[in-house]
Amino acid sequence: MTEIAVPTGQVGAAAAAVEARGAAMTFNAGRPNEVIALAPIDLTVAPGELVSLIGPSGCGKSTLLRLIANLLEPTDGSLLINGKPASQARLDGDYGMAFQQAGLFDWRTVSRNIELPLEIKGWDRTRRRARALEMLELVRLCDFADHHPWELSGGMQQRVAIARALSFEPKLLLMDEPFGALDEMTREHMQTELGRIRAATGAAVIFVTHSIPEAVFLSDRVAVMSARPGRIEAVIDVALGERTELTRGDPLFFKHVTEVREALRAGHGVGGGMEDR
Amino acid sequence: MFVLSLVLAAAMWELYKAVGPETGGKVLGMRVLPKAEDRAMPHVWEMFQRFGRAEVRSSKDTVLEAVVSGAWYSFRIALAGLALGTAVGFGLAVLMARFRVVERGLLPWLVVSQTVPLIALAPLVASWGGKLHIGGFTWQRWMSASIIAAFLAFFPMAVGALRGLSSPPPAALELMDSYAAPWRSTLFKLRIPAALPYLVPAFRLAANAAVAGTVIAEISAGVRGGIGRLILEYMREATGDPAKVYTAVFGAAAVGLLMAGLVAVVEMTATRHLRKEEFA
Repeated sequence: MTEIAVPTGQVGAAAAAVEARGAAMTFNAGRPNEVIALAPIDLTVAPGELVSLIGPSGCGKSTLLRLIANLLEPTDGSLLINGKPASQARLDGDYGMAFQQAGLFDWRTVSRNIELPLEIKGWDRTRRRARALEMLELVRLCDFADHHPWELSGGMQQRVAIARALSFEPKLLLMDEPFGALDEMTREHMQTELGRIRAATGAAVIFVTHSIPEAVFLSDRVAVMSARPGRIEAVIDVALGERTELTRGDPLFFKHVTEVREALRAGHGVGGGMEDR
Repeated sequence: MFVLSLVLAAAMWELYKAVGPETGGKVLGMRVLPKAEDRAMPHVWEMFQRFGRAEVRSSKDTVLEAVVSGAWYSFRIALAGLALGTAVGFGLAVLMARFRVVERGLLPWLVVSQTVPLIALAPLVASWGGKLHIGGFTWQRWMSASIIAAFLAFFPMAVGALRGLSSPPPAALELMDSYAAPWRSTLFKLRIPAALPYLVPAFRLAANAAVAGTVIAEISAGVRGGIGRLILEYMREATGDPAKVYTAVFGAAAVGLLMAGLVAVVEMTATRHLRKEEFA
């Protein structure tokens, strides 16, 4: 899927999943320890699109994700989620979020973990329970509904976290290095799974990662960021069509990997700090 | 194992009596070893025999009955104090977790509160309580002892609960924020469950403090009927009846054991559904 030209500010089905205009973040503004985490950022993510944010540590990719999630307020510029201000989008449950640590609650069973956001949003018990089962089916963990998180492997926990993030059917999924703590085999499996889940739900995804192949494999577009101050250096369109395990051996896949790596070097001076896996 | 260690302790006591110096040992003019004579260290069996005999010559109650009723009385005072202390401590912890300002303003005071000598505080509480009349409510003397017990018990609870309530990692709090969860939801669905592993040891400390506080308060505030008072009374008779005071000391230990048993039951119910390894 390539970028669809969407008129800015339009509300409704056609509104961009994310539209950042000049969004900037400065920590401790005006004080001696002032840090410009993000220079003004312009970024539009179309509905259903997957955009990766990749860059060295400290380039502000997690900060940008937190601005979109309204966990931080930008010090400048504006952010629209599904055509709404980010703060309203958070209240409306327009996005789900998954972190590097699955962050499941140990004292809840798997299905009650998935129900957590639904409880907070005031769904009744039967509806919650039914939805949790649907989500477990989506992430293929039906047999584990009544298990506790510590009985699951890292990859399974991460799938539960994704199920939890998608349980209230948000149109946008924000992922902060969700597969960063997994081993290589599990990681590739999870990437394929994410592709399938995305096809089933049609959610747009913003995916923060350190891994170049992961970014290329998953994304419609890869936003390459650089540090001090954090900014988007280049946006690379990935035209790989439908992803299968064969995609990983596709010459075009390697061409894109090289493209991203070169963009990272250009913005960075050196290619250090990036994972090549 | 516990019974075995009790027997061992009794054996040590008797062994020291057998070989220890009658008049106490001195090293460089300082008395370091206790006197082994019967007046200072009565035989273990004498202590137990004393349980069976009359408390005072004129009464028909045995010492056992007096000690058991005193221990039960003190246990109830300690329990009331523990309940109050736990509630107050937890309430303060929630307030401190909610408002950073409260934490910074209050926490130093809590620490200071624990440095106030109880011996000084207990008579004050008793006299303030005695002047208190609200409607039909009149202050009972035992309430003073409960207040002192609570005063000791709330502190470990407040500190432990505060640590527990602040224990969720930033990612978990961000997750709740991302759901636009109100503070109350975060408290009940995240902070309190996450605090449980911290609350359990805090509760254990609070229970011990409540028992110690009760005994001390009974002695220094002059509350009659409890084990603390018995220790004081029997101590006065120690020259003539040395075994008697130890019966009261055993009574105090029994209160502590009873409380420990109760705490164990509470812990088991509270942590039943939690991962086992965390409490190994």
